[in-house]
Amino acid sequence: MTEQDGYNLRLYVAGQTPKSMAAIANLTKLCEKHLAGRYTIEVIDLMKDPALAQRDQIIAIPTLIRQLPEPLKRIIGDLSNAEKVLVGLDIQPT
Amino acid sequence: MRIVPADRKANTASPSEAEETIEAIHGGNVDAVVVQGPDGPRVFMLEGADQPYRMLVERMSDGALTLGPDNAILYANRRLSELTGRSPADLVGKRFDSLFAEASPGVADGSTREGKLLGATGAIPVAVWSSSIAMGGFSARLVTITDLSVLRRAEEIAIAERFARSILEQATEAILVLSSDGRITHASGMAEQIAIAPPVGRMFSDVFPLDVQTTAHAGIVSRFARESLDTALATKPFHGVEVKLRNQPVNKRFFLLSAGPLLNDAKESVGSVVTLTDITARKRAEDQQTMLVAELNHRVKNILAIVQSVAGQTVRASSSLTSFSTAFSGRIKALALAHDVLTRTRWIGIGLSELLTALLEPHRGRVTLQGPPVLLPAQAVMPLSMAMHELATNASKYGALSIPQGTVTIDWTLRNGDETGVDISWAERGGPRVEPRATSGFGTKLIDRVVGYDLDGKAALSFEPGGLRAVLSFPLKADAASPESSWSNLRPM
Repeated sequence: MTEQDGYNLRLYVAGQTPKSMAAIANLTKLCEKHLAGRYTIEVIDLMKDPALAQRDQIIAIPTLIRQLPEPLKRIIGDLSNAEKVLVGLDIQPT
Repeated sequence: MRIVPADRKANTASPSEAEETIEAIHGGNVDAVVVQGPDGPRVFMLEGADQPYRMLVERMSDGALTLGPDNAILYANRRLSELTGRSPADLVGKRFDSLFAEASPGVADGSTREGKLLGATGAIPVAVWSSSIAMGGFSARLVTITDLSVLRRAEEIAIAERFARSILEQATEAILVLSSDGRITHASGMAEQIAIAPPVGRMFSDVFPLDVQTTAHAGIVSRFARESLDTALATKPFHGVEVKLRNQPVNKRFFLLSAGPLLNDAKESVGSVVTLTDITARKRAEDQQTMLVAELNHRVKNILAIVQSVAGQTVRASSSLTSFSTAFSGRIKALALAHDVLTRTRWIGIGLSELLTALLEPHRGRVTLQGPPVLLPAQAVMPLSMAMHELATNASKYGALSIPQGTVTIDWTLRNGDETGVDISWAERGGPRVEPRATSGFGTKLIDRVVGYDLDGKAALSFEPGGLRAVLSFPLKADAASPESSWSNLRPM
């Protein structure tokens, strides 16, 4: 995976709240389907370290940040609407 | 909705993102918000009800985790992190199966399976329970992982303890475990029975007051004062000290006191195992054996005296060496037969009919026995055997048994009165005509002697022309005296 075509995703969650759980599950499924082998997901639990929220100015949980490819994109919610997520992340459905 | 930022722009990157955030919150797509506080950002749950459960799960002594649809780990608690030696962040996203050393036990609803968890220092036996749950529109799985190694060790210890305890309870000997200060920590069922008070927790000397039985051992135990005996038993090996307990009801019994060190895993003495073996039966057997040897010695001497006496008298009454040999061996055989009967009946006595049948076996078919059941006491067996032997010998040499058509009838009656007795009648028929004798022979004298002196009765012999008739009358009394001892009265005539 190169930096140009790879997706570096960062998912902010709050422990195992239902929306956080749903966001992890939905994101993993979606990435496997549309970005197989081209993505990394970093799950950040703000319950364990709230200070990490400052890095991406997180105010609502769950929040997904697309670090790469630039520009940085932000999607708030449990990512259950796959179409909205694909649009939000600029991913062409395969 | 309970929390709404006062200044939408304060924490957001752009107005559109702030609007998106508000929209997401309104839309119910968010369940926590981050609020900037004086000490940095803080997370506030919009639905705070799960906070107590979160704390409980983090404090659990079992590992707990949540799995997503592909069995990927979404959450792991502190205990699972400790068990695996991996941080919660490291565990999140990993496959459930990767936690296990060998084949993963898998997950099944509501059931518990066992597996080997990859631990920080090696494989850990664990029990895995799981249940599926619907969370936020997708199916998740809750899993607990219980460390069985502690449980297994506890079970092993419990089994070993039960095993040791059942040995103690079933042991027929009194077994005690003493701590190094002489205090009893364990006691077998037998030990509890013979102690003067429940022994566990007490000093040995308090519940087992001892008297040493052998002088050789007296020094060993009496050298110690009561308190130091406890210490000595707990710290020094003792072997085979014969003791008696002073307490009822075991004060008549003999015990063998032994003590050996109790060692821990490091082979250090942590007390002792003391046994009190009941040797009363062994002591009795030893005493009985000593008595039997003395009795045997006495009887052998008596028998030799009888043989010597019979030999002397037979020599005097015999005209030749051949007649001596025949008469002497016949009498010795009669003695031996009587002795066999006594040994077989353990010197208790024998039925008269049974004894006569045995004695007159060589003349079977020609001797008729008639009479009521009579138990002959042991001391009457030898004298009567000798008397009957003389009568049979005389009959086969000169009387009814010397020719084929002669017969002998023996009948007896019991006398009841002041003294129970028996009258035995010997009647010969069909033999050669009998001539009255001028002098009585040795056989006749012997019959008179044994019936008169040894059976305390009388013998009446009449040499009638049709055949010899004899009546032997004697009392039936069970003397404690040994039968041979009376035979020592047999003197040369």
